[in-house]
Amino acid sequence: MISVLENSPTLHWLGRQLFNRDDPAAFFDPLLERINPMWVQQYTPAMVTAIYNETADTKTFVLAPAKRWLGFEAGQHVSIGIDIDGIRRNRTFSLSSSPIRWRTDGTVTLTIKRLPGGLVTNWMHDHLETDTVIGLGDAFGDFRIPSPQEPVLYIAGGSGITPVLSQLETMAASDYRAPVTLLYFVRTQADVIAAEKLHALTGRWSAFTLKVYATSETETPQFLSDQHLDEVPGLAGRRCYLCGPKGLMDLANDLLYRRGISEDRIHSTFFSVPAANLDSGTLGGAVHFERSNLDVSSEGDAVLLEIAEAAKLSPRHGCRMGICHQCSCRKTSGTVVNRLTGKASGPGEETIQLCVSVPSGPVSIDI
Amino acid sequence: MKKMNETQLKELEQDLDTIRDQVIADLGERDARYIRRIVRLHRSLEVGGRVLMPFGFIPPVFIAATAALGISKIIENMEIGHNVMHGQYDWMNDTSLHSQTYEWDTVCTGDSWRRTHNYEHHTYTNIIGKDRDYGYALLRLSDDDKWKPAHSLQFINYVLLSVFFQWGVGLHELESERIRRREISVREKIPFLKDFFRKGGRQAFKDYVFFPLVTFPVAPVVLAGNVGANLIRNLWSSTVIFCGHFTQDAETFSEEECEGESKGHWYLRQLTGSSNFTGGKWMHVMSGHLSYQVEHHIFPDLPAHRYPEISEQVQAVCKKHGIPYNTGTFARQYSTVLKRVLGYSLPDRMRNRMLPEFSSAGAQS
Repeated sequence: MISVLENSPTLHWLGRQLFNRDDPAAFFDPLLERINPMWVQQYTPAMVTAIYNETADTKTFVLAPAKRWLGFEAGQHVSIGIDIDGIRRNRTFSLSSSPIRWRTDGTVTLTIKRLPGGLVTNWMHDHLETDTVIGLGDAFGDFRIPSPQEPVLYIAGGSGITPVLSQLETMAASDYRAPVTLLYFVRTQADVIAAEKLHALTGRWSAFTLKVYATSETETPQFLSDQHLDEVPGLAGRRCYLCGPKGLMDLANDLLYRRGISEDRIHSTFFSVPAANLDSGTLGGAVHFERSNLDVSSEGDAVLLEIAEAAKLSPRHGCRMGICHQCSCRKTSGTVVNRLTGKASGPGEETIQLCVSVPSGPVSIDI
Repeated sequence: MKKMNETQLKELEQDLDTIRDQVIADLGERDARYIRRIVRLHRSLEVGGRVLMPFGFIPPVFIAATAALGISKIIENMEIGHNVMHGQYDWMNDTSLHSQTYEWDTVCTGDSWRRTHNYEHHTYTNIIGKDRDYGYALLRLSDDDKWKPAHSLQFINYVLLSVFFQWGVGLHELESERIRRREISVREKIPFLKDFFRKGGRQAFKDYVFFPLVTFPVAPVVLAGNVGANLIRNLWSSTVIFCGHFTQDAETFSEEECEGESKGHWYLRQLTGSSNFTGGKWMHVMSGHLSYQVEHHIFPDLPAHRYPEISEQVQAVCKKHGIPYNTGTFARQYSTVLKRVLGYSLPDRMRNRMLPEFSSAGAQS
C-alpha cells in the first residue's frame, strides 16, 4: 500500500517535500509497526516463522519476508538487521534454502552457527523467537549455479555448506543431469548440517555424489588432500565451488591450481572481508575528521570505519564488508586504498566506503 | 569567568568525564525505547493535527488541530531533530535517527545547522566575535558591542526574530552582517542560498500551499491553522533558546581568554555561559531538554533525556569547584532575558542607572 509512494516518481517527490526524507513512506513506520510490524517501510521486514536445531551449535531460522522482497538466486547471501540492546546490527549470511521454496510458500531459511564471541549469532541462538520481525536486505553475490549445465565439484567446510545446500536443492529440483560431487568436511559426524536433507538428495538425485569427511575423529586430523581429489571423476572438466574456513579454501585453491584448473573455474564465497594484498609500506597517515574537528593517526592496519569508531565517532554503517554502501561518505582530500580491490583512490574529493578504505597518507573525511 | 589554574581545570575535566563515561557505558535499550516513543508521539500529533485541521471551521477543533500541529513541530524540532543532529542517537545505527542524514521540519537545512550550531556555537559558546548565536548578529546583548542609536529599537527586532524564528535560523549562515560590512560577497553565499531556497520553499509549500489546496473548500482555515502552528513553534523555540545563554548570569567571553584553551577550560566556559530553567516533565520534553542547557553544553552528544538524571552530579561538581550553576524558574530566567534585551538597547549610562544588575561591575566580571 504505502510502497506505492516509493514506486511512483511523482508521489515520491511529493513525499520528500512533505516529510523531508528520502524514504518518505518510512515516516509512518513508528505508527505502522504498532499495528503490524510487517508494514514497516524503512527496511524489508521478515517474520521468523520457525526455528529448528541442525547440530549442537547450528540452527535454521525460517523467515517469511514481506511481499515486496525481490527474491534471490541459489548461492546468494543477504544482510539482516537486528536490534540488540537498542543498537541495530547488520550481518551477512548465506541463504540455505532454494529459490523454489520461496516462490512456492514465501519463506527462506538462514542456517547459522554460533561463532565464539559472536554478538549477533549467539544472540540469535539465545534470544530470537518465532513471530519476531527482523530486517532483510536485498540478496547479492555471484556464487551461482553454472548455466548451461556443467560437471560441478563442491568443497565445503562446516557451516560453509549453507549456500551449497541452496544450490543442491535447486539443481535437484531442476533435474540437473551433469555430475555433481560434494566433498563436505566437518569436525565430527555430529557436526554435519542438514544431514537428513543431504542423504535424501543422494537418494532421489542420481547425478549427485556426497562424501562427508570428519576431520577430527581419527588421531591425526584428516584435511583435504590430493587423495580426496583423485576420487572425483573427471575433475579437470569440473567447475569448482569453495565455501568454508579460510584454511580449507586456501588449501583447496592451491590443490586445484596445481592440477591446472584455471582461476575462472573456481568460485569462492567468503564470510568476512578478504583483504587484498596491500603494500603496507604505503599505508597509514594522519586522518582528519572535518565535521567533528578531530585528528588521529593511522598505522595502516585499520579501515576508516574502525579508526572513526576508535576516535569515539559513530558513523552510519551497515555490512562492514563493502557491500551495502551505508557508510559511504565524502573524502575531501588525500588517498585511500580499497581493501577489497587493493586499488588506490584519486587524491581529490570523492565518495568512499569507510568500512573497506585504508588511509594511504594524510586524508580528510567529511564526518 | 571564574579563574582556575590548569591543575584545577584538569580536575574539573576528569570529574565531568567520569559522569560522561558512566552514561555512555549505560546506553542501550532504555534510550532506544525513549526516543522511539517520542518519535511515535510526534507522528501521532502530526497526523492528528493534519487530519483535524480541515474540520477547523468548528472553533474548538481549530484550537485542538493547531495546538496538535504546533506541539508536533516543537517536539520534532527540539526533542527529536536538535538532539538527533547532535549525534545523541548515532550509536543506535538507525538511519532514520542518524546525525549525518537527519533532516528536520524547519526552514534551516540540516547541513547548515550542523555547521553553524553543532560546530560554531558549540565550539565557541558565548565568545563574542566567534559565536554568532550570541545575539544572532542582530541584537546587542553585552558591552562588547558599542551602543548605537539604532540599538534603541532592538526590542522590535527581538519580537520579529521570535515570530519568524525558523526563517531567521534558516538564514543565519548567510552572515548578512559581514556582507553589509563587505567582508564577504553575496557570490560566496550562492551555494548556501540555493539550499536555503530549496528547503524554505519546501517548508512553505507544505504548510501554505499543499495542505490548504488538498482541502480546497476550507483552505483559509487550514492555512490559518498551519500559520498558527508555525507561530506557536517559533515563539516557543526562540524563547527556550534565548533562555539558554542570554539570562542575567550567563557569562560572555573574549577571544583572548579562550585562545588555545584546554578541555577543562572549555568545560568551564560551557558551565558558566549556559543557563537552565526548572519545570515539569512536559516542559523538559517540549524544550528538547534545553531546560538543561548547562548539561547539554558540556555533553551535547549524550541523549538529552539523561540530563535530568545527571543534573545533581553536575551540580555537585560545580559546587566542589566553586562554579555557579545557573538555574531558576522559567518565568524568572525569561524575565532576565527580556531585561537584558531591553537593557542593552539603552545607552550604557542609562542602563547602569536603570538596570544596575547588567552594569559591567555586576554579572560580567
